[in-house]
Amino acid sequence: MGGLQVLAKGDLPWPPSVEEFDFPGLGGQPYISKITVLLWFGVAVVILFFLVAYRRPRIVPTRMQWVAEAVYGFARDGARDMMGAENGQRFAPYLACLFCFVLVTNVWGIIPFVQISPNSHIAFPAFLAVMSWLTFLYLGVRKHGFLGYLKMISVPPGTPWYMLGLVAPIEFFSTALVRPVTLSVRLFANMFAGHLILAVFTIGGFALLGSSVVFLRPVSLLAWLLAIILTLFEFVIAALQAYVFLLLTTFYFSESLADGH
Amino acid sequence: MADDQKPKRPGAEGYGAGWTALSYLIAGIGIWTFLGWLAARWLDIPIGIGVMVGMVLGAGGAIYLIVKRLGT
Repeated sequence: MGGLQVLAKGDLPWPPSVEEFDFPGLGGQPYISKITVLLWFGVAVVILFFLVAYRRPRIVPTRMQWVAEAVYGFARDGARDMMGAENGQRFAPYLACLFCFVLVTNVWGIIPFVQISPNSHIAFPAFLAVMSWLTFLYLGVRKHGFLGYLKMISVPPGTPWYMLGLVAPIEFFSTALVRPVTLSVRLFANMFAGHLILAVFTIGGFALLGSSVVFLRPVSLLAWLLAIILTLFEFVIAALQAYVFLLLTTFYFSESLADGH
Repeated sequence: MADDQKPKRPGAEGYGAGWTALSYLIAGIGIWTFLGWLAARWLDIPIGIGVMVGMVLGAGGAIYLIVKRLGT
């Protein structure tokens, strides 16, 4: 209870701000922060999971192998549905890794005592989006040629010629430039908002507990209850956003590989 | 392999459609605002007029594309 009293006295910053997302370098050096470490752990978790799960593959899978196959199969089947069996198989490893990485780094946001997702910093979603973006542009240019692909992403099928001057810049701009932005901002904003909501309810509980109005103090229990419920809700968001990132990347690849319109 | 086909995911399609519409609007208004600004500077007319005409044109074009792509 002593600890609670100290917290209730108002050592915590209220209201929470963008500074919630700033983490200093660990041990005084400026390069490696909590975010960096979480990123390394995220990569390690994904690599170790697949390595261990596939170390001795069996015909009748162990439980871990079954999970790994289910995750991989999920990414592969989605890709097959959209771009055909051969291409789907070709991109399945990348897509499965992307999905797992985004999922693990998203879930960091709700693990107790970790509770920050690297994806709540725009740099990480932006880089992932740039990888997807460059890949689908490259695939499109290689499949259709530079001019062919330029025509494909600028000219919507069945548009009368007098509308082309108006809509071609829009079509080009939305495919070639807006896509990576929406892809990254969607993931970043979801993780950012999720962290901020949890911070508001948790720290808000302490702020209420330290309130000078006695009637407000018990309300802190309600705030913490909501924080717990919202944590579960955040898990759904984390999984959903990983899935959306996978789905849209798959869709962009499949569109670049499609045989014209 | 007729039985190999999976049912489509209707929820995902609706989600994608929503984002397609949003990105058309952003792209349409964004690019035509820029083009309107360029045109206004080039033709030496007030910047506001160029930007305003560009925005309206862009929104119109975006709505045209949305109806064309997503309308039945």
